[in-house]
Amino acid sequence: MATLAPGVKTGSYHAVLDHIHPEPTSFIRKYIFSIDHKVIGIQYMITGGLFFLIAGLLAEIIRVQLLSPQNTFVTAATYNQVYSMHGSAMVWMVIIPLVTGAFGNFVMPLQIGARDVAFPWLNLAAFWMFPVAGVILFSSFLIGAPDAGWTEYPPISLQGPPGTTMWCIAIFLIGISSTLTGINFIVTIVKMRAPGMTFTRMPLFVWAQLATAGLSFIATTALAGALLALFLERTFGVPFYDPKHGGSPLLWQHMFWFYSHPAVYIMILPAFGIVSEVLPTFSRKPIFGYKMIAFSSVAIALLGFSVWAHHMFTSGMVPWLQLPFMILTMVIAVPTGIKIFSWMATLWGGSIRWTTPMLFATGFLITFTCGGLTGFFLAAVPADYHEHGTYFVVAHFHYVLYGGSVMGLFAGIYYWWPKMTGRMYDERLGQIHFWITFLAFNGTFMPMHWLGLMGMPRRVPYYDPAYQFWNQFASVSSFVLAASMLLFLYNLFTSFRSGKIAGPNPWGARTLEWMIASPPPYYNYKKIPAVLATPYDFGNPLPYIGLDAAPGATEATPTMSSHPVPAY
Amino acid sequence: MAVSIAKQGYNLGHGEHGDHEHELVIYQETRDMRLLGFVLFLGSDVVLFSAFIFAYIYLRTTVSPTWPPILDGHQLPRLDTAFAAVNSVVLFGSGVTMHYALENWKHGNRPRYNLFMLLTILLGAGFLGGQAYEYAHAQIGGWSGSIFGASFFTLTGMHGFHVFVGVVYLIVLWLQTQRNVYDQERYFGLTAGTLYWHFVDVIWVALFFLFYLW
Repeated sequence: MATLAPGVKTGSYHAVLDHIHPEPTSFIRKYIFSIDHKVIGIQYMITGGLFFLIAGLLAEIIRVQLLSPQNTFVTAATYNQVYSMHGSAMVWMVIIPLVTGAFGNFVMPLQIGARDVAFPWLNLAAFWMFPVAGVILFSSFLIGAPDAGWTEYPPISLQGPPGTTMWCIAIFLIGISSTLTGINFIVTIVKMRAPGMTFTRMPLFVWAQLATAGLSFIATTALAGALLALFLERTFGVPFYDPKHGGSPLLWQHMFWFYSHPAVYIMILPAFGIVSEVLPTFSRKPIFGYKMIAFSSVAIALLGFSVWAHHMFTSGMVPWLQLPFMILTMVIAVPTGIKIFSWMATLWGGSIRWTTPMLFATGFLITFTCGGLTGFFLAAVPADYHEHGTYFVVAHFHYVLYGGSVMGLFAGIYYWWPKMTGRMYDERLGQIHFWITFLAFNGTFMPMHWLGLMGMPRRVPYYDPAYQFWNQFASVSSFVLAASMLLFLYNLFTSFRSGKIAGPNPWGARTLEWMIASPPPYYNYKKIPAVLATPYDFGNPLPYIGLDAAPGATEATPTMSSHPVPAY
Repeated sequence: MAVSIAKQGYNLGHGEHGDHEHELVIYQETRDMRLLGFVLFLGSDVVLFSAFIFAYIYLRTTVSPTWPPILDGHQLPRLDTAFAAVNSVVLFGSGVTMHYALENWKHGNRPRYNLFMLLTILLGAGFLGGQAYEYAHAQIGGWSGSIFGASFFTLTGMHGFHVFVGVVYLIVLWLQTQRNVYDQERYFGLTAGTLYWHFVDVIWVALFFLFYLW
């Protein structure tokens, strides 16, 4: 029987997990084929990090090519493959696995007071599809990588190199992985919360993961359908998309964007969750509008399904459909705005500590808001007619995906790094990393707005000399951005080797994962605590009873806002 | 999913405590989790079918001026509705027998459970046979001839594959019950099998309407 806090009456599901798995002793079962959610989370992080470096190098090839208008660094055919693979890899092999697989797996079960996810073996299977899918995707370079952009619109993709078929298989596989993870997370969050942790007492990161899991298990299957049809058409000539044989290329766009627009929210909602954890911790203030932030995640997830056709305004869609899709797209700004304003209200009057995660979280606020605003321009049909297919779009989605998701990822890595490794990183290097990232990021992508408005099309290896200055500016900035990654890796590496011991709760945070040792022991919680309130009420005593706290956890956890802040 | 359930669904109930009540509580908690997981899994499968159903409706209403479409100058014939209707009755009949198989299991009536379970397997296999006959005789230009054949063979093929997996699943379940893997309180595998079978039935209702009646 699971050990529960004394006096807690519950039909707890934690009892179940005592029966599932004893701690493995062999190296392989402990670190390679582990079913421990924390190990799997770190495996996702390492694998996704490696793919991030590869996909980032592809981006640098793009920027080198664009240094001069008629550069011959790569051929036009290679260039097409490079940007297609850069986009595909960043979306499917980096951001989605990192925000859900890595952070969802490591943090979410700890935050709800569970010992593992609902289906640990399924989790193991879902993880191992990911590196396999990544290897399939990247090895498509050997036989000719896909060259029709990350969206692979037919009929171009039907005539693409053989690697396009491998692309179908790889994305299908990562889709299965993502669907299974989504199902696993929903069951975990619905069924395995610690006693007393009602839905309105869950940490906001868990809310974000719940909304994301709902999105990924529905939307991803639609993508699987589209990919299956593309695969059948490329391999057996089954005519779904080719207009010459009676198919419709627009069908792909409908099915693809029915997934890929929600996928935007799969990529950003967990980052919202990370920011919602970081901001109150380093402002030492209760988060403003807890329920509004939680429910707006769900609202964004639901609305995300109704806007896909805004990608198709210039594709020859029925004109009368454009208006509802334009309005629905703009409506998404409402729940997103609720979040932005709640975060700003959380900062307002807080005793802010500018740690590295806090810097990244506020950087996220600024750049993501900019990305959201340019999204508004693209949602407006008349403006979209001008901007579609230009660098304005590239600027927009990099502000959302790099300035949003990746900044959120950095905030999350710095924030939970002491929990994952038990060691602190070099704070000064972290702050330098932030400032270089922030400035170089804006230097890279800000000019793309002007380039787009001036009319430079995306996906071109050669361009009009009129665009040269801002292209060179962006390229040089992107080299700095890439170089900052070396600083980041150096920081993490030395921290892992010889960083200061962090202790259970270096930030004085209040969610459950900080109440146990760092790194957390195999079973997470010797005793499952009972939860009495939301975790964000700084100034009140901790809302947990029956917690078998790690030594030193309570000392490092200020219960009053006036309590001296621990050194970090 | 199904593999993990088949592997763990029952074994988890066997604790080292030997306390029947306690084991049962744990079993129920596990079952609730697995049920939710399985229903979500079926839900994502519904989305997969919906994607292709949407594709069929989209192609038929926006791309082809006539239906069935014209291939090489002559209009393709409609599918054989009467034959498909008989085959559908076979499939829906198997849904009914599956229901009674589970009910009889719950009431501990082993002989009747065996009868209904084997009937379900037979009817499922019969439906697959009917589908094979239909594939061999459908004059719609094959899989890659037109969007008609493409959507018909892909959608009903996906459904047929699900039926095939279901038949194998039911055979495994039946063998498990013969080896007393389940008892009267713990039979999650059978519940999941029944859910899956009804899911396959419901999908067929949509496909029958789309391809034969519309």
